[in-house]
Amino acid sequence: MVAKMKWHVISDSVRGASHIRNGLPNQDAVIRHPDPDSGLPIIMAVSDGHGSRKSFRSDRGSKFAVETALETIKEFVRCQPGDNFTGVKRIAEEQIPKEIVKRWKQRVRADIRGCKDLECVDNPFIAYGATLLTVLVTESFIICFQLGDGDILTVWENDEVERPVPKDDRLFANETTSLCTKEAWRDFRFRFQMIADSPPKLILLATDGYANSFRDDESFMRVGSDIWHIIESEGPDFIRKNLGNWLNEATQAGSGDDITVGLICRQNTDNLREYKHFRIPLWIACPV
Amino acid sequence: MPQRPGGELATRPLHFIWLTDCSGSMSIEGKIQALNTAIHEAIPHMKNIADENPNADILVRAVKFSSGAQWHISQATPVDDFTWTDLEADGLTDMGKALTMVAEQLKIPPMTDRALPPVLVLISDGQPTDNFGEGLSALMDLPWGKKAVRVAIAIGEDADHEVLQKFIGHSELKPLQANNAEQLVNHIRWVSTAVLKSASSPASQADDGNSPGLNVPIPSLPDDDSISSGDVW
Repeated sequence: MVAKMKWHVISDSVRGASHIRNGLPNQDAVIRHPDPDSGLPIIMAVSDGHGSRKSFRSDRGSKFAVETALETIKEFVRCQPGDNFTGVKRIAEEQIPKEIVKRWKQRVRADIRGCKDLECVDNPFIAYGATLLTVLVTESFIICFQLGDGDILTVWENDEVERPVPKDDRLFANETTSLCTKEAWRDFRFRFQMIADSPPKLILLATDGYANSFRDDESFMRVGSDIWHIIESEGPDFIRKNLGNWLNEATQAGSGDDITVGLICRQNTDNLREYKHFRIPLWIACPV
Repeated sequence: MPQRPGGELATRPLHFIWLTDCSGSMSIEGKIQALNTAIHEAIPHMKNIADENPNADILVRAVKFSSGAQWHISQATPVDDFTWTDLEADGLTDMGKALTMVAEQLKIPPMTDRALPPVLVLISDGQPTDNFGEGLSALMDLPWGKKAVRVAIAIGEDADHEVLQKFIGHSELKPLQANNAEQLVNHIRWVSTAVLKSASSPASQADDGNSPGLNVPIPSLPDDDSISSGDVW
């Protein structure tokens, strides 16, 4: 059972330094629920449009991706079968990826109606190609979905940072699995975690432009524990205020790619206090 | 105030490797001099490309092959510091050995998986005299070997196009034919600019397992009419 906690959802997205130089839009997208912070369940989704010449509408593809993920998972949460967690896990793993892909393709089909160039090609979805990372946090479990590149990190009580979803060796160089490929639902990676004692302190979702901006994986993994320590010392509003600047610094000195980050963090209400710079209005989640 | 989260930021390395034929036949009709001139001429263009994209850390090396193979420039050198020492021609065409040596450098480590796809440029005027297949297998067995941008330049009429095509590994990209010094300069400039630029900012590509195409789009080569009857190799 989860102790009394306050949950925060924070996100930001910056246009890549190379996108600015080349006049390209930000092709990432992010969505969060609830917004502003109002407790569990929390859903966060980020998506990275491919941006290649073939994927010339991928900024729209990433927007459709996060919107369909949110809509699908909200329905799933409303309909979940009580405390039958085996059933919840099975439905989530088997049905949600199919449903998200189906709805994403419906959105794309609607968007290309009237566009002769796209209506005539074999796979019009490539023009909208995008990845998808989604996390659902409830009082009892956490579910992570990942299709394509990018990173989901969890930070635990002992400051251990881990990637909850299994690695996909096909994601190498600039190639990625994607919503636009045939049977894309098969390529979703999945993790279901029951919350036994306490949930992770922080869950981070990021498009691949962020990890690619660090010299090595160790330097990137430190982001998770560092953000948590900043939240502890300065409060979540400090993160809200500075996240965009940090991401801009990363794209300029690093990958040059668009960078989008979503954060879900919890604080035990016992430990809440006034931060150095901000007085945080408290919302206390009181799960049964 | 806390620093920004995470460790050291870094641009992404892009390894550019010349694989140059220094066999005895390259000494005929000024081919090796033309190659040296062409690479000298290309360096400022490479520097311009690097300046245009500060998020790619372009690092250049060269391996030469004749009787055996050795690194001509062994250190991955930032393009701003890169200088070319002229090659001399003598001996056989041990191209397979050169590929094996490059393969050693494309393993992880020393490579990192966050690198940009490497660019390998193979330049030859003849046929391999060693086990080319073994060298190619060593290269193509590696993730970075498969994902490298592989371009080949055939110098003169005796170059083995079949071998160079196997090195490229994509039917949609053919070896570039250089029949005179001017064409060689043009091809090397194209590789050093258009191909390098494309490789330095590759967009993500959806991998559906059914389209083994190029993972980095290769721009089209400008029309070339720099050939005359008097200067054909």
